[in-house]
Amino acid sequence: MGITRRNLLRGTAATLAVAGTGFSTQLLAGQKTVKIGLNIPMTGDYAPWGLPGLYGCEIVANNINAAGGVEIGGETYMIEPVGYDHGYDTEKAIIGYKTLIGDDASMIMMLGGSTVGAILGRAQRGKKMVTTLLPSDITPDTPNLVAPSESHPLYNATGVEWLKENFPELKTAVIVTTNDIEYGQQSAAVYQAAFEAAGIEVLDTNFHGFDVTDFAPIVQGLLSNKPDVFCMATDVYTTPLVEALYNANFQGKIVSCTLDLYEEVIAKTSKEFVEGIVFQFPDFDDPALNSAQIQFPDPSGFWDTFQKDYPGQWSAVAWQYPAILTNWVTAAQAAGSIEPMDVLAAMKGNPNPPHTFGKAKWWGSQLYGQDNCVVGDWPVVTMQDGRARIVEFRSVLDWLDRNNDILKRKMQDLGLRTV
Amino acid sequence: MELFLQSIVNSIIQGGFFALWAVGLVLIFGVMGVVNFAHGELVMIGAYTVWLLHAQNDVPFLLAVPIAIILAMMIGLLMERFLFRPNRTDPLAGLICSIGVLFILQVVAHEVGGTGPAKQVAPPFSEIIQVGEYLRIPSQRLFSLAVALSALGVLWYFLTQSKLGWALRAVALDREASALQGININRISMIAIGVGAAMAGLAGGLMAPLQNITPHMGHNVIITAFIVTIVGGVGSLSGAVAAAFIYAAFHTFVTTYFNGTIATILGLLIMVVVLIIKPTGIMGVKVSE
Repeated sequence: MGITRRNLLRGTAATLAVAGTGFSTQLLAGQKTVKIGLNIPMTGDYAPWGLPGLYGCEIVANNINAAGGVEIGGETYMIEPVGYDHGYDTEKAIIGYKTLIGDDASMIMMLGGSTVGAILGRAQRGKKMVTTLLPSDITPDTPNLVAPSESHPLYNATGVEWLKENFPELKTAVIVTTNDIEYGQQSAAVYQAAFEAAGIEVLDTNFHGFDVTDFAPIVQGLLSNKPDVFCMATDVYTTPLVEALYNANFQGKIVSCTLDLYEEVIAKTSKEFVEGIVFQFPDFDDPALNSAQIQFPDPSGFWDTFQKDYPGQWSAVAWQYPAILTNWVTAAQAAGSIEPMDVLAAMKGNPNPPHTFGKAKWWGSQLYGQDNCVVGDWPVVTMQDGRARIVEFRSVLDWLDRNNDILKRKMQDLGLRTV
Repeated sequence: MELFLQSIVNSIIQGGFFALWAVGLVLIFGVMGVVNFAHGELVMIGAYTVWLLHAQNDVPFLLAVPIAIILAMMIGLLMERFLFRPNRTDPLAGLICSIGVLFILQVVAHEVGGTGPAKQVAPPFSEIIQVGEYLRIPSQRLFSLAVALSALGVLWYFLTQSKLGWALRAVALDREASALQGININRISMIAIGVGAAMAGLAGGLMAPLQNITPHMGHNVIITAFIVTIVGGVGSLSGAVAAAFIYAAFHTFVTTYFNGTIATILGLLIMVVVLIIKPTGIMGVKVSE
């Protein structure tokens, strides 16, 4: 019997307990192994967006291997994630790419941005498959680059949409973000478009560098506009920003892309203050992730294992690289091959690509010149009694269908590349 | 008015930190002639120590900070004894050694704290003091300012009122003449780097609850400390303190009313202008060859 995606998910879930009892993948030594490369930052400022993903991949791979591996083209393979730390340095990213390809990695997963740009030419020429978490890396000239998991930052629109529907009295907002093109400005453009689409006026957008040691002046400057909504468009500084809002006694709504390690935010502020903050990344023990539409193997079991093995390390990317890994397995099984271009063709050939949060489709030609990005439903998460809880899944595709022109205009206003 | 008053408070608090960062750098350079590029990492070590002891192991904050000071001081003393002293005749060698220490301390922080998200320390003093109708001052920030100002006061007293302080200033003015007067240069150098590193450790410990703690946080510290030192006058402690508060006020107001990126660019521009118009800095003195 061939292993289908459904069987893979079932098998992975069923073997969590086995993995937990110490069943070692070494018992299966001697079988064929396929290597999946992660050319990611594991040190430096961007480490929170790399290392937790490797940990997550190791958990998922251990579970798959403990279940006997995966059958691809009549062969049984063990999965071996192999990490390379490029520290978000483009030269090291090239070395990492060469090292992992030299190590026969079948796919290279990357965070995105300039480090992806540094290796794309080689990947195209060498016919290698590379994934990114940033769809904005995709261009008409990069057919081998796909974003099959995260549609950063497009999903941010759903949080603003939900906020306006539930709090129609909100009229004004301010945005703060880092001034880099890859994350901060992309995210700001989506938030600006989302606020405009929701009829909320953006009073000010503050782009700051990575050298800020005190956020009080930035926050107090923005709050002098008396906004109804304070929006944090990137992740790195959410804790000191929320702390500065708390110190300034901000009474309005807070919307953010992420709220990683929110326990620390609560410790610096209060449970009452963070109540109702809207963001986009759930804990994976969220009851809403037990619904039938979710396409991630045993989210709560994955969460428990991660928290036990890597306490305090969970970030938004912890499940995203593993989601790409499971997508790769599905595509490789459909292709009956582990050859990069065969897997890529099978992945792209699926009109209903697997997506962690449910139905999705290949999208992107409208903004990036190529439908190489999987976009679908995305959760809106709010803080409730000290825990992150999903309040609703909303369609990013529907929002894009209605508001793509606004988004394109906002991106162009900020000098960002669109087709 | 509310924003203006709040910005003044923010400026003073930030100025206290800038001064702590800069005086250590000035002291070490003045006495030893070494540009200590690892000074920011000594601040980072102070912050990491408080994170490790207080946030991770429940050691009281008021005990963790002195331990951070002692640890930073010990690292400074080791640097003086084994790196700077053997290279005393070659300032460039000392500078390169300090860059090596910078990387070593960053790696140590990685090994101790792991490579995940930035570390956070919950403020031990969580009350917010409301002053009048407008001003809100977190007690943690007020505490940090009070300790920083006290430390600067003690340092000033030590330098101006004690024999050791006089000896230290004498060495900073002229090392050879001081040695001829019987001042033990090795001992004074140890005191200078010990005090300078302790100031850095104190700054890091006090800052720990107020910002993201990462192995690379020293980068911002050293840039700011250099700006303050150059604007104040290289080798001038009073100049460094004055420049710290002036630069903090400038940076805070530009960030609040315009943009943080503009504030950083203009801050560097001010440094360049000072170097062109008054190369000795606002309170530095010209020393003849």
